[in-house]
Amino acid sequence: MAVLVEPVADGPRGTHNVAARATRVLHGVKANDAALSHEPIVVHAGPLNVIACGSVDDGKSTLIGRMLWDADALTTDQRAAIERAARTAAGTPDFSRLVDGLAAEREQGITIDIAWRYFDTPKRRLVIIDSPGHEQYTRNMATGASHADIAILLVDARSGMKVQTRRHAAILDLMGVRHVVLAVNKMDLVDWSESRFRAIEGEFLALADRFGFRDAAAIPVSAVLGDGIARRSKNMVWYAGLPLLDHLHEVSGRQGAEDASGSFRFPVQMVVRAGQDFRGLAGTVTSGAIARGEEVVDVVSGRRTRVRRIVTMGHDLDRAGAGQAVVLQLDTDIDVSRGAVLAAPGAAPVAVRSFAARLVWLSDQPFERGRGYLVRMATDLVPVASLDISRHLDLTTLAERPALTCSANDIAVARIELGRATVVEAFANQRETGSLMLVDAVTGASVAGGVVVETHAAAPKPAGDTFRLTRSLIKHGVGADLGDDAASEEELRRRANEVAILLRGAGVTVELDDRWGHAGFDASSLWFGVMAVLSFGCAAAIAIGLI
Amino acid sequence: MRPARQPPAPRTGDRGLSALLGHLDLLEAESIHIFREATAQFRAPVLLYSIGKDSTVLLHLARKAFFPAKPPFPLLHVDTTWKFRDMIAFRDRTQLELGLNLIVHINKDGIARGINPIEYPPSVYTEVMKTQALRQVLDRYKFDAAFGGARRDEEASRAKERVFSFRSEGHRWDPRKQRPEMWRLLNGRLGPGETVRVFPLSNWTEKDVWRYIAREGLDVVPLYFAAERPTIERNGSLLVLDDDRLPLREGEEVKIQSVRFRTLGCWPLTAAVRSAASDLKSVIEETLSASASERQGRLIDHDDAGGLERKKQEGYF
Repeated sequence: MAVLVEPVADGPRGTHNVAARATRVLHGVKANDAALSHEPIVVHAGPLNVIACGSVDDGKSTLIGRMLWDADALTTDQRAAIERAARTAAGTPDFSRLVDGLAAEREQGITIDIAWRYFDTPKRRLVIIDSPGHEQYTRNMATGASHADIAILLVDARSGMKVQTRRHAAILDLMGVRHVVLAVNKMDLVDWSESRFRAIEGEFLALADRFGFRDAAAIPVSAVLGDGIARRSKNMVWYAGLPLLDHLHEVSGRQGAEDASGSFRFPVQMVVRAGQDFRGLAGTVTSGAIARGEEVVDVVSGRRTRVRRIVTMGHDLDRAGAGQAVVLQLDTDIDVSRGAVLAAPGAAPVAVRSFAARLVWLSDQPFERGRGYLVRMATDLVPVASLDISRHLDLTTLAERPALTCSANDIAVARIELGRATVVEAFANQRETGSLMLVDAVTGASVAGGVVVETHAAAPKPAGDTFRLTRSLIKHGVGADLGDDAASEEELRRRANEVAILLRGAGVTVELDDRWGHAGFDASSLWFGVMAVLSFGCAAAIAIGLI
Repeated sequence: MRPARQPPAPRTGDRGLSALLGHLDLLEAESIHIFREATAQFRAPVLLYSIGKDSTVLLHLARKAFFPAKPPFPLLHVDTTWKFRDMIAFRDRTQLELGLNLIVHINKDGIARGINPIEYPPSVYTEVMKTQALRQVLDRYKFDAAFGGARRDEEASRAKERVFSFRSEGHRWDPRKQRPEMWRLLNGRLGPGETVRVFPLSNWTEKDVWRYIAREGLDVVPLYFAAERPTIERNGSLLVLDDDRLPLREGEEVKIQSVRFRTLGCWPLTAAVRSAASDLKSVIEETLSASASERQGRLIDHDDAGGLERKKQEGYF
């Protein structure tokens, strides 16, 4: 086995070096025809992620198939196959074959399976998020909905709103889907009756009022015949609104404008170091915008500084907004690392340790009291000090009822106390710092997804004695082998996190010294944690009653 | 491999910036985000560099993600010794030009056993020279995360693939261990014995890849562009003879004609298409009007039913 490792020549790094590199000439085929960047193939808006909810009986496959057909989103061989195939009773091509055909890949046995399909219409990319509507659909649909910009709820005009429609709407609302359109299908089978449509529309809008949808609209369609999909229906001149496809195209993708108008948030993913002088913070602006020279605050430490440069490869930016991945170089090097959130000083959130969240339980393993859990929020990973389930949401009645446990497909209200403070905001105000995954500390599995309902300013009084895990305890114990450089500091924080998790698993209420800020790394080895507990055995475990 | 043109001026405006961010900008930002999440969460990542167009985009995004630093991980090429010569030349040039750390791995054991794509069925050859080779080198260096250029639009069995795709001990893909992914959150906390494949291009399509190559002015292997090449037709596929290792069968005739490739792999297993698209513009036009899926050119996928899915379970990409 020959492995040829060719090490990098470790020359001076930095912008000047890269600029010099950029002027060199590569051999091979050049792709620098300037005209290409203005090709007519450019899609003008961002991709639109669409989730369609409804049962097979409502004509979900036919509706999606018809949309793709009419939107000119299919390749020539896909079109030919549909033309060749057997027709429907109405004499139209059977569009459901298109979607069902796509879905024909073998069952892979994935616990939560979301299939992604990409189609280009002349106007924009449509991404169809397909989540199976079987028995266990709550967690599937919730997972799919977390990625959706818009949802199509589908009902049969003959039967109208169903209990299931209400459940679907509740899940969409929970996961923050703001645009919902009700497609009232099979209008041809109710003689294109306006009164029938209006009755269903009224019922739907009343339901939608209970939720936080930004817009809810009902559109009468016939997927089989194409009425109300890409064109206005001659059979329903009484309907003055947009056809379904036009309605979709109107919706702005990825929360774009909404996030951009919010206040600035920048969860730090990692520190980028280049050469002696450059230290920058890499991340994606999740809300609002930042301009060079503007002041930012690290929420947890409260330290402020200004943005010196907004770095991307090739050129610096004057301004960066929601959705952009950049590196921020700060004026003074405040010590922040992965997990920190930078915000605008005037509109900064506060770091909290206690909040209420709605969780969708995803794992087949039910919630277990005393098991080690971690919360992943934005770029931070924080040990959970305690998690209490208080209520379940009954999707059928939309009422809450008391509960203490939680298992797959349950939607529960929980109170979560973190081992240390971090940036947590209400999901309704900030999606990225208000959504979370609950992680099993030992297996690493994502056991639940959730949204923050409200935060609690004051830390609750712990039930028993709290063990305060300080920097010096760790430094002199399990971290005795580490030096003083930045990498060692991050490793120390990581080990501290692991120790906290293990102690928590052993039933000890642990508080991480807040001065640590954020755990820089969250690699998975429990080895250090085990070592930590062993060294702890001598240092402190006796004192806190662990042994 | 580098910004060939002056990049566009920074965009500013009263409306939010994302309203002005285009389709490719959003895909690019998402990929950069994925690269950074993985690098921050895993101990020893590596980038699987297979020299093709997807790898070219992948590498370019990796460079953007960590600029002004270099990508903090090596590149890994699993060399079967049957890659097109143009690919190897392109790989070596790229590595030299960008000053990147490249690991080239060949399954010497497979070579010693004489495994080749001509005498052995594609499934055996792929298993030994690609799948086993990859496992050998991942184990040797104890990499816990490997970036790959797979896209969900490539093939039906990939439509459900996660961005972080978990592998159990022995690099097995266990459907029950795949984690749900919500919002932009990527959970990379590894369980005992687990490693992960990371797919930053998950949401890209073939068209996006070509548009991005054009926009960023990236170089690609010349085989993607039509040229007069020596070809033979075998089992309905058009093969380009890259050297003299493939013995001709009776009745086969070498024909010089204008062909190009939509995907690149080992040359006896990669079918060309007749094409006159000799520059990027015409390749993009051809891709946009293409009616057949790109993996049709990969003969190994047709070897047996469910090929790609089975290979994935065994640890092939």
